[in-house]
Amino acid sequence: MEMESISENEYELFFGPAHPGSGNFAVRLKVDGERILSARSDPGYLHRGFEKLMEYRLPIQNAVLSDRICVLEPLNWNLIHAEAVDELMGIDTPERAKYIKVIMAELSRIQSHIIWYGVISMGTGFNTGFKIAFGYRDYILDLFEMITGGRVYPAGYICPGGVRRDLPEGAKEKILKVLEKMEEMLEFEKLENPFHLDRMENVGILKLKDAIRLGATGPILRASGMKTDVRKDEPYEVYDKLDFEVPVRKEGDAYARYWIGLEEIQQSINIVKQALNNLPDGDFIAKEFKKPKLAIKIPEGEVYVRNEVARGEAGIYMASDGGTKPYRVKIRGPSFLHMIPVLEHLLKGAEIADVPAIYWSLNVCPADLDR
Amino acid sequence: MKVDVIPKLIKNLFSKPMTVRFPHESIPIPDGYRGEHAYNIDKCISCGLCAKICPNRAIEMVEMPKEYRDKYPKKYPKIDLGKCCFCGLCQDICPKEAIKLTKNFFLSTFDSSTTIKYPLPEKTSKEEG
Repeated sequence: MEMESISENEYELFFGPAHPGSGNFAVRLKVDGERILSARSDPGYLHRGFEKLMEYRLPIQNAVLSDRICVLEPLNWNLIHAEAVDELMGIDTPERAKYIKVIMAELSRIQSHIIWYGVISMGTGFNTGFKIAFGYRDYILDLFEMITGGRVYPAGYICPGGVRRDLPEGAKEKILKVLEKMEEMLEFEKLENPFHLDRMENVGILKLKDAIRLGATGPILRASGMKTDVRKDEPYEVYDKLDFEVPVRKEGDAYARYWIGLEEIQQSINIVKQALNNLPDGDFIAKEFKKPKLAIKIPEGEVYVRNEVARGEAGIYMASDGGTKPYRVKIRGPSFLHMIPVLEHLLKGAEIADVPAIYWSLNVCPADLDR
Repeated sequence: MKVDVIPKLIKNLFSKPMTVRFPHESIPIPDGYRGEHAYNIDKCISCGLCAKICPNRAIEMVEMPKEYRDKYPKKYPKIDLGKCCFCGLCQDICPKEAIKLTKNFFLSTFDSSTTIKYPLPEKTSKEEG
């Protein structure tokens, strides 16, 4: 074994896992003075083993479990799990359920992008932005509390066959009122802020070629100049009936990624408004799932579904051997590739002070990386 | 930076703050909130479906203590609130509406034995504990 040569200025620095600016995730930085020579991601701090847990549970119980895959956008993960089971079992969900699913998924996306804005602001030292973002996020949590019964965890609200409850009375007016507040917040966020410009412009530039090579998806890839969105490329639920745009930027730096997030909030608000206007009457769940049942057999087969969640492209592979429980579940979280290859690539050559700006501009979620 | 500072300032001076002073006032809790369970033993038919669907296995079917066994001879659900994730599947699957989730979310306690809900509250907890 060869000994590593040690220079006087070189040392190893841990960013996380118990660091206020990293969130249950560690990056080992090899630094020379202020400059980072190499970075190594150190995942595993938050591993809970969902893939194995799901093999021992019924689909309706897995719907509850799927909340926990990503704490910041549980409804999107509910949706993708429900879609996988629906496709495997060949269930036709009612039209109303599809619209409610889209409304809830988009509200969840808005809420997640608001957190993104908040943590970017916190990472770059703009604490007012953090407080405003989390204050406005609570209006959406109030909606979730009214519709699903829980503020953060909807407990499998979007379940196989549809949704567990219908929208309560007066929900449409309340949602529209909250969307008005979101637009008010966007107005504030879209102001050109010197804090954000100084800390993020030309920092952590991800070129399109590298982004594709390293497997970036979603807002990160769009900020590097590629127009891609699963909602447009391979529409699921009722996205093909809704009119929305895919924001794209060419710069590929942290500021472009941050700006993509803000533009996506605006698009999501438009989607929710359209879906609310077109919301049809009818059942909110397929007949065979109206009451949860224990002995529903999943037909033999395998399926892979992909969705656009707030952080990028998520996928669930599910295989069944004909029993009541899935034989194998594989979860593809978008943060896995953003936090290991992309982050390591961007941190190389950066300065220590830029680490939070680069880290949070990738819209990371350690929970769905470690799953 | 283009901000109309003075109109915004005046608007903010006279608008209500975002936060509420919690112990004195609180935001209203909507119907259908998933809080602590309310269990009605007289409606229960001891089918055990709630114990089977519970994702966290927080519900266990237990026998009643001897003095109540004449009146309640079957097994009844014992709920461990420490394991519960408040998903409400037990409420949905119950054929007789014996379990319902209430709006009560004040569940923090200094005494760990109070996190377990017995079928008959005060009477059975001493027997087993």
